[in-house]
Amino acid sequence: MLVDFELIKRAQKGDSAAFNEIVLVYRKRILGRISRLMARSEDVEDVAQEVFLRLYFSLDQLRAPEVFEPWLYRLTVNAAYDHLRKQRRRQEFRISDLSEQQVMMADAAAGGKVERDERDRRKIRELVDSLLSEVSESDRILLMMKEVEGLSLKELEEIYNVKENALKVRLFRARQRVLKAFGSRER
Amino acid sequence: MSPLRGNLEERLDALFRAYRDASPDPDASPNFMPHLWRRIEARQTFAFSLRRMAGGFVTAALALSLALGVYMAIPRSQAYSPQSYIEALADAQPLDTPEIVGTVSLDLSDPGM
Repeated sequence: MLVDFELIKRAQKGDSAAFNEIVLVYRKRILGRISRLMARSEDVEDVAQEVFLRLYFSLDQLRAPEVFEPWLYRLTVNAAYDHLRKQRRRQEFRISDLSEQQVMMADAAAGGKVERDERDRRKIRELVDSLLSEVSESDRILLMMKEVEGLSLKELEEIYNVKENALKVRLFRARQRVLKAFGSRER
Repeated sequence: MSPLRGNLEERLDALFRAYRDASPDPDASPNFMPHLWRRIEARQTFAFSLRRMAGGFVTAALALSLALGVYMAIPRSQAYSPQSYIEALADAQPLDTPEIVGTVSLDLSDPGM
């Protein structure tokens, strides 16, 4: 836990300063999670604000401060999922509008080490984003939370509020689809 | 599981790890907090207006119910007559009224003959 229970209780009672502090502590982490869950970077801040907005208006429903983090991640997953569902532009990636030649020219122009590193990172992001476009938005989020964010099945169980076995089945199926797409690209 | 499959699984895991490293947590813009509070206040204002409107409707409905209750409670002289139906009918149409007790004439002549 990044914040103490007392701060959460104060925020639950309507203390704006306490809520502000919670946002400041979790903001970077939530922005990171959302940026990895979604392919469109320009919407990340908007979705993060939606998460904290939902947190503000639902904080009084939180049963115990101990479950604050799963609660916040559930709000994050739901907000990201709602946003992805609205967008339904799963094939649209940051550089997908450019032609092959434009990409090559951009790569050639980026000659320095920093630029090369950034180019490599961008390629990895695009490859994973395109692989994850093989599964539904909800499975994409589930896979991300498990494989990239490193959440355990127990944590996912708390976030999704479903049985571990159901999660395992769903994760296995989603991973198999991604694996199949990955295999066909590797050939 | 085939070794090829196992190898692919490992490479996918490595790719996910690389993705995690290639996507660090971004910093929030300076407008993040002011914008967030503006959105919270906007929603609060909307919720407040909605509550006030709902309260207004409830008050109006209560006032209307009260007014109707008072209206129904006031005794009206002609509303309930102690007379029976027959008595009321007899009062309204006395038997000596010409149109009721007048003679009926029958024209028996055949217009065709």
